[in-house]
Amino acid sequence: MTRVRVTAPRQSAPLAPGRLPSHREIPEDSDSGRLFVRSLIRSQLRLALVVACGFLVILSVFALILVYGPGVAEIRIVGIPLNWLALGVGVYPVIGLSAWLYNRAAARNEARYRDLVEDK
Amino acid sequence: MNPVVSLVAFLAVSLTTAVIGFHGLRISRTTGDFYVASRTVPPWWNASAIGGEYLSAASFLGVAGLILLSGTDALWFPVGYTAGYLMLLLFVAAPLRRSGAYTIPDFTQARLDSALVRRVTSLVVVAVGWLYIVPQLHGAALTIRITTGLPSWVGSTAVVVVVCLTVVAGGMRSITFVQAFQYWLKLTALAVPVVFVLLVLAGNGTAPQAPLTLNPTSQAPAGAYQHISLLVALLFGTLGLPHVLVRFYTNPDGQSARRTTLIVLGLLSVFYLFPTLSGALGRMFAPELAQSGQADALVLLLPGRLIGGTAGDVLSALVVAGAFAAFLSTTSGLVVSLSGVISQDVFGGSVRGFRLAAVLAAVVPLGFAFMTDTLALAGSVGLVFAFTASTICPVLLLGIWWRGLTDAGAIAGMLTGALLCGGAMVAGTLMGGGNAPAWLAQPAAWSVPAAFAVTVAVSIMTNGRVPSSVDRVMSRLHVPERPVATER
Repeated sequence: MTRVRVTAPRQSAPLAPGRLPSHREIPEDSDSGRLFVRSLIRSQLRLALVVACGFLVILSVFALILVYGPGVAEIRIVGIPLNWLALGVGVYPVIGLSAWLYNRAAARNEARYRDLVEDK
Repeated sequence: MNPVVSLVAFLAVSLTTAVIGFHGLRISRTTGDFYVASRTVPPWWNASAIGGEYLSAASFLGVAGLILLSGTDALWFPVGYTAGYLMLLLFVAAPLRRSGAYTIPDFTQARLDSALVRRVTSLVVVAVGWLYIVPQLHGAALTIRITTGLPSWVGSTAVVVVVCLTVVAGGMRSITFVQAFQYWLKLTALAVPVVFVLLVLAGNGTAPQAPLTLNPTSQAPAGAYQHISLLVALLFGTLGLPHVLVRFYTNPDGQSARRTTLIVLGLLSVFYLFPTLSGALGRMFAPELAQSGQADALVLLLPGRLIGGTAGDVLSALVVAGAFAAFLSTTSGLVVSLSGVISQDVFGGSVRGFRLAAVLAAVVPLGFAFMTDTLALAGSVGLVFAFTASTICPVLLLGIWWRGLTDAGAIAGMLTGALLCGGAMVAGTLMGGGNAPAWLAQPAAWSVPAAFAVTVAVSIMTNGRVPSSVDRVMSRLHVPERPVATER
């Protein structure tokens, strides 16, 4: 196999050619295309914000209960204090679940966009 | 602890890293190979590699040490490190992959159509990378000093040499294999000793020396402000880390970038159970380590203390190997992304320039590491996250989701964040770590909102400068790729 010297004058071509998005011509060429893209972005942003806020609310409620819940500091499960279990183990499934739900919903948003564009 | 065993462990990890790196040399030939592994790495490999790169000295040594010192307060660190990836998944993963850019400066230049923004972003990225390499080298110095008795500089220098060799040899392609291997090594190296220690303690019926809930030193519990500020730093800092971002370019498309992140979250969650367990064991069975100021070495010393003999030596060697895997993987990840940035801006983007830049990227922080003292590892890495959250994060988030961002706004925001957060870090250091008030020691809670506010305000004031390409770039970021099946 021969070795090929490749250089990258990236200043002039900042976006490397990747796999092109589907129907790239639409957002640039027509008002309706632009509208579809805007609504896709809005729905993805709304989804991300909802999941992020939901997670942060759960986390804060968690923290507040552990600190201020009456008698919570004394609770032990198999000899391990509840706050250790909750923070050391319990938070992680919540993170994973949020991520999984988000992935499904984000893929659904994209599928809906694709349907819209292909219907046209 | 047996110094020979530790040295052998260190050499074995370095050698394996180098062998995989040189093996990668045979298959990486183009500039694309060197930068981003030609974007053909499957999600599982990629996720292991991201995990391997992300779990640094702070996670491997620092978290357990901090838990030993401050108990439940420290449990927020791994929670924040993991939840940071959730934020990255929600706001950054897929759009960034679709952007088609190789580095963060590439992204900001393409999005804002400005070479000046690129310059400023490059400067910030290099600053973040250097700041983040220093604690890794401190960790290496500590490990070598504690386990072999050799002088501290041996550890940090050895890490820099191995990293330079592998990066110069193979670039990102080989680094991806190395990183993936190192995640599993790190997990094994923490999990096996901890499980052994648990079994031995349970078998002997050893009674704990101190209760789990008691802090071994008279350290005051952290207040609400510290918790909030730490979480802001970790949640928003992760999505701006240059070495983490560059990893997403190795996914074939946006969907698989999201899938990869989900796997990473799982890998991180499993990993962090073990430093937590080590820290808890340390509090109950070896609280004297905290009093002698060796908290960060807890993970390294635990097997020797609680098991001893040959079994203790072998387990210690495993931990040392894992620790070096942590320093090597994070440092090499940072060096790869820094040299990507430096070589494009200074050396014109050639493979030779990449190699030169790699050496530069690794040697400068080595100088910093010699000049500064070892702080608590988890704490100093926390500050780097605060700096990233105040500089790169606002530009990245607003650039992906807000059409109104302008080049002037981006530059003003990055400079504000860098000045505020950097100023607080310098002031806090000058006042001496423990004496600084909470708002200086943990600046993220005010410096991140300030950077966001300035970015938005200046962008609105200069709204005539919104680039004409904004519609095209935004649709490129968010429109899903054509499914593979119909493309072929």
